[in-house]
Amino acid sequence: MIRVAGTVLKLEDINKSFGGIHALKNVQFELSEGEVHALLGENGAGKSTLIKILTGVHRMDSGKILIHGKNVVIEDPVDARQKGIGAIYQELSLIDSLTVAENIFLGHEPVGNFFGNLKKKELTGRALEYLNTFGIEIAPETPVSDLGLGQKRIVEIVKALSINANILLLDEPTTGMSKAEIDTLFSIMDDLKSKKVTMIYISHYLDEVFRVCDRATVLRDGENAGVFKIGEVDLKTLVRAMLGRTLKEEFPGRSGFPGRETVLEASEFRSEGMAAPVSFKLHRGEILGITGIIGSGKSELALGLFGVDRKVAGEIAVKEERAAITSPNDAKRRGISFVPEDRKVQGLFLRLPVEHNITIANLALSMKRGIISYRKRFEIARETAEKLKVTPLDVKMPVQNLSGGNQQKVVIGKWLCGATDIFILDEPTRGIDIGAKTEIYSLINSLADNGAGILIMSSEFREMSGVCDRVLIMRKGSVVSELAGEELTTEKILTVALGG
Amino acid sequence: MDKKIETGERKTVNWVKIKRLLKGELGLILILVALLAVFSFLSPYFFTSKNLLNITRQVSITLIVAIGMTFVILTGEIDLSVGSAAALVGVTTAVVLKASGQLELAMIAGLLMGAGIGIVNGLLTVYGRVQSFIVTLAMLGVARGAALVWTGGKPISKLPADFGTMGAGYLGVVPVSSIIAAGIFVLAFFVLNRTKHGVYMKSIGANREAARLSAIPVKRYRVLAFVISGVMSGLGGILITSRLLSAQPTAGEGLELNVIAAVILGGASLSGGIGTVLGTLLGTMVIGVIDNGMNLVGVSSFFQQIVKGVIILVAVLAKRSD
Ligand SMILES: Nc1ncnc2c1ncn2[C@@H]1O[C@H](COP(=O)(O)OP(=O)(O)OP(=O)(O)O)[C@@H](O)[C@H]1O
Ligand SMILES: [Mg+2]
Repeated sequence: MIRVAGTVLKLEDINKSFGGIHALKNVQFELSEGEVHALLGENGAGKSTLIKILTGVHRMDSGKILIHGKNVVIEDPVDARQKGIGAIYQELSLIDSLTVAENIFLGHEPVGNFFGNLKKKELTGRALEYLNTFGIEIAPETPVSDLGLGQKRIVEIVKALSINANILLLDEPTTGMSKAEIDTLFSIMDDLKSKKVTMIYISHYLDEVFRVCDRATVLRDGENAGVFKIGEVDLKTLVRAMLGRTLKEEFPGRSGFPGRETVLEASEFRSEGMAAPVSFKLHRGEILGITGIIGSGKSELALGLFGVDRKVAGEIAVKEERAAITSPNDAKRRGISFVPEDRKVQGLFLRLPVEHNITIANLALSMKRGIISYRKRFEIARETAEKLKVTPLDVKMPVQNLSGGNQQKVVIGKWLCGATDIFILDEPTRGIDIGAKTEIYSLINSLADNGAGILIMSSEFREMSGVCDRVLIMRKGSVVSELAGEELTTEKILTVALGG
Repeated sequence: MDKKIETGERKTVNWVKIKRLLKGELGLILILVALLAVFSFLSPYFFTSKNLLNITRQVSITLIVAIGMTFVILTGEIDLSVGSAAALVGVTTAVVLKASGQLELAMIAGLLMGAGIGIVNGLLTVYGRVQSFIVTLAMLGVARGAALVWTGGKPISKLPADFGTMGAGYLGVVPVSSIIAAGIFVLAFFVLNRTKHGVYMKSIGANREAARLSAIPVKRYRVLAFVISGVMSGLGGILITSRLLSAQPTAGEGLELNVIAAVILGGASLSGGIGTVLGTLLGTMVIGVIDNGMNLVGVSSFFQQIVKGVIILVAVLAKRSD
């Protein structure tokens, strides 16, 4: 059959509710053959829900899905796969105990015709082929548990590609990826585009959208808020469509200044996970950034400081007093809070209520005379969730029912409601929309203005230069440079971090 | 206009609340009510206060042990050794009672034995890093064997009569063992919901890594859950012994299965983090009512096992299909 380039996929009046929450309201969407189409919107706007309807994870309540003009029903993910729809979900879905090759072909393994036995050799061979085609250097026999977050995403992508999808859905695919990995992804996408594969691309990083997308559909509160041609629209217009208001300044200013007192000091400190010793001083009222490309050792440093990984050398001092921190509990007792990098694995109790998640690390605040007060706990959770603009604002709801970005807000809230004065935040704004990010920066500012010392690990250089008073740049586990004042610019960080 | 929005919001919240309740304990309550109705219809004797009190007596031991099991399951582990632990604790209590003649001392010795079994289970699981299924399966054999070796396979009988009050006595018309079970229930409810210990154990089962990073002393609490289960099995063992005025080395055989069934029926998840003692109470009651009702109706004991198995399966499925 010969096809002229036209509409590959059309969605008409899609509605979807979860309990009392109307996640999608009469949503329209159109995908032209061979385009990369951005799907934008605030946290909870309904982006992931739309994707999951297309892959049969969720059933829509009403509406029409047309593929090449034909009305279709997508029963389940297997059915979606057969219809040529592949997806990379926001939350990783790889199985840790299996190898890269096994994960890639999960559900459609090459099997022998006798007893359907798995052909291990062919599996590995074909996986290698795929990985090579995309220039990815990961051995197919590696267990997925050994991979970093960015590498896992790449494997997810290869997995989605292995079914030869002609519609590919990418939900925040660059989360946790290094710059090099992102470049790899984009070149894969270019390649697919030339093969007439059509893609939906979800991201909160609008610079990426301007780089790879042709058009953008914006959702707001589950409703359509415009379709734009990327070549003809500016950032401001897109942001206004997403938020329903203009964003004044991305990085709000501070009213306070860093003080003299050192609240956290590392001297030639090294933990099990770290490649090299690190020294730094964090002052009261200071926002100190630690940046570097992914794999530069930021997270390992964070885990070491919080007592998650065992110390092997050097010293840590808290408020100018030597501190032996051998567990997160020790760290907390010394007044340290820690927002970890991976919300699903390290941060959240997905099946438990928001309330539980927010109050668990500082449970003492919810107690009266050693007994948990339901009311106090509810109030703390509600207040924190409100401050962070968690939507929907229902703290009795299991966290897993929240959108990805809203889950991230809960991870931050878990430590923000405490009374500690040292904060270690590892990629705190990951997955959070552009408007809510600004709110979180304000919160971080006000913590610092009130005398807390804040250590932010992030691989977003713009965020680092916008938020921090001072930035340390790491490379291969060591701090290689320090930037502050006039010198602290995104460009400068970029050159140093990449090894200039 | 503001008001309108607010009432709208409240409505959805209520609807969500109702759904939550249905998903939780309400479904089990409905099952229980249905069972009560069916058996009342089938047997005139079933729905009398005497029989209902009798049911509470019959379930008291299962309930106590199941409450201990709830803690273990909440942390994402399992304890298969509860039945054997009950037997060994019963024997310990009887031996000390015979030797000393002191009731309190005997009970303390018994409960310490239960705690000891729990500590060994816990340490091997947590610090030895062996799966609790394996550790407690081994303990199931070891504790049972110890009870048999210690007694030479024969029951220790003719225990002093006043020891029988706990297991077989009545306070007015209410069985003492039911009162003890009720006390344990209230205590466990309080610990699980109102103290950090319970909330921590629940968190550990829900996500161990996140629990550790939330500054919870994970290892200590994982061991604690096994100790609680050991002590509760011990209390169950003491009650069995008291009821018979005799310590049987074979007591509590198969108890673990009934207990695990009750906890899972109560809505707990074997992968941890989900479960309540109220659910466990209802799960235990459902099983207890089925047992009692079928006996009254005169269903053959072979057939009873099939019916019970099927009802448990159906109840679990019904709860899930929400
Ligand atoms: N399984 C679920 N149960 C209940 N509510 C849900 C469920 N999944 C999503 N929702 C709700 O639907 C709405 C849309 O969520 P969705 O995940 O689609 O947002 P999103 O646009 O992908 O946001 P993000 O940028 O944060 O990823 C949210 O209000 C969310 O709470
Ligand atoms: Mg999403």
